[in-house]
Amino acid sequence: MIGDGNGNKMRVKNLNMYYGDFKALEDISLNFPSQHITALIGPSGCGKSTLVRCLNRMNDLIEGSHMEGEITLDDENINKSSYDVISLRRRVGMVFQRPNPFPKSIYENVAYGPRLGGIKDKEKLDFIVEDSLKKSALWDEVKKILKESGQKLSGGQQQRLCIARVMAVKPEVILFDEPCSAIDPISTQKIEDLMAELKKNFTMVIVTHNMQQAARVSDYTAFMLVQEQGEPGRIIEFGDTNTMFTNPSDKRTENYITGRFG
Amino acid sequence: MKAGRADRIATIVFWSIGLVSMAILAFIILEIFGRGLVTAVSPSFFAGQPATNQAGGGVGPMIVSSLYLAALTMLISLPVSIGAAIYMAEYAREGKFNNFIRFCLDSLATLPSIVFGIFGLTLFVVTFKWSYCLLAGAFTLALLNLPILLRGAEESIKQVPQTYREASMSLGANRWITIKKVVLPSAMPGVITGTVLPIGRIMGEAAAVIYTTGLFIRAIPLSPFDPAAPLAGYIWYAQTEATVPDYRQIVNGGAAILLILVFLINFSARRFARFYAKRKQLEVKL
Repeated sequence: MIGDGNGNKMRVKNLNMYYGDFKALEDISLNFPSQHITALIGPSGCGKSTLVRCLNRMNDLIEGSHMEGEITLDDENINKSSYDVISLRRRVGMVFQRPNPFPKSIYENVAYGPRLGGIKDKEKLDFIVEDSLKKSALWDEVKKILKESGQKLSGGQQQRLCIARVMAVKPEVILFDEPCSAIDPISTQKIEDLMAELKKNFTMVIVTHNMQQAARVSDYTAFMLVQEQGEPGRIIEFGDTNTMFTNPSDKRTENYITGRFG
Repeated sequence: MKAGRADRIATIVFWSIGLVSMAILAFIILEIFGRGLVTAVSPSFFAGQPATNQAGGGVGPMIVSSLYLAALTMLISLPVSIGAAIYMAEYAREGKFNNFIRFCLDSLATLPSIVFGIFGLTLFVVTFKWSYCLLAGAFTLALLNLPILLRGAEESIKQVPQTYREASMSLGANRWITIKKVVLPSAMPGVITGTVLPIGRIMGEAAAVIYTTGLFIRAIPLSPFDPAAPLAGYIWYAQTEATVPDYRQIVNGGAAILLILVFLINFSARRFARFYAKRKQLEVKL
């Protein structure tokens, strides 16, 4: 079964998230429709990165963080200690803000995930590496230098290498945490084209600072805001990207997307 | 104009201070080599057996003792310090317990080596009944070096970017696999260069070895339970006891050899770290 029967791959319901005593997110409810791209936008510090890191429980790595509420993947709650977080992260992959290839060869970067999954067969690995690099539109650029360090590539290529690395694990959902904030416009264009292509097979969530990017790539958009400093981030408006950018229903959304603050 | 002059004066002052420290080092090296290099490079000295009551003895077994002891010590202390460093950097929560461990390590690091020597004598030589031997010396020196090695390894591990760990965890690795496959390989060149100083210290240590390995031998030590006479300890012994007429020459030659050995080890550890980094395609500055 894909999603929850209503076409949603993931759902967040009444989520509160804390760093120690500090409440970072409050009462977040949101759906992530299958095979669509959902963008999370909002000013710096509004909790959009925190929210996306709830979806693969990366916040678990931060001491003292905890969540209340429900996050479902295919209708199963992942926010419980009994849920196997390793398998969650293999189903919900992540691309980070700064390209972060390992200090290993291009080949080993992509093969890292499959190797973790227990694949040892050289031929199988070769196939996965090639396939993943093709899917991330990097194969032609690197097929002759697979043995070279992934860190020697340009920033944009590194980010596509990171996408290939995620792809190799065969995830169902891919989270992009401001994937283009550290790379040039041409590489950004390539990554946006890639996302549009990947939409056929994956459910994607993108956190972005860049409203044009949200408007270009996403199908749905959630606008988040921290009202007063020290308050938790909340969702102000969530809906169809077109409607949101042409006819927002909340004044604050309108102010933000027209550039009046943030 | 005034600022410009102050800047010029500052430049000259700091440049001179740098020059003076270089000059001191150069003076020491030249002095040692000037007195001992000729003796040091003669095969009958560096490969020869030590003599008693007559001139012309060599320091062959002592060089072997020093190298053997350094190797044994690293063999004991490296795994322990890397393991402890992994715990401190990756698992332990920052807090009272960690600070307490650091306090203990710093205290251990500042303890005079003679104290370690007496401790080694009491525990390994007497209580364990190992008598004077390489292993007793190696364990004693391992204790002596643990703090520096551990701190060095911990720093190298902490310098591995957090983004590597995040990437690995996000691909479904647990913490141990992340450490094993990503963190340690990246930290290794730093750990290797971090061993240079301790090896130098082991080679140069006299106080901690004279009570644990022994002072004088004729036969090259083979087993870790054989008595030994590391060069630094033997230099001290030759100078104080002066049982041979040419003890001055032995001391000078021995010092020159010690210096050469430390240079060689320093040089090759750096080369090895660089080679390792290149093979693993790591970007490191050494």
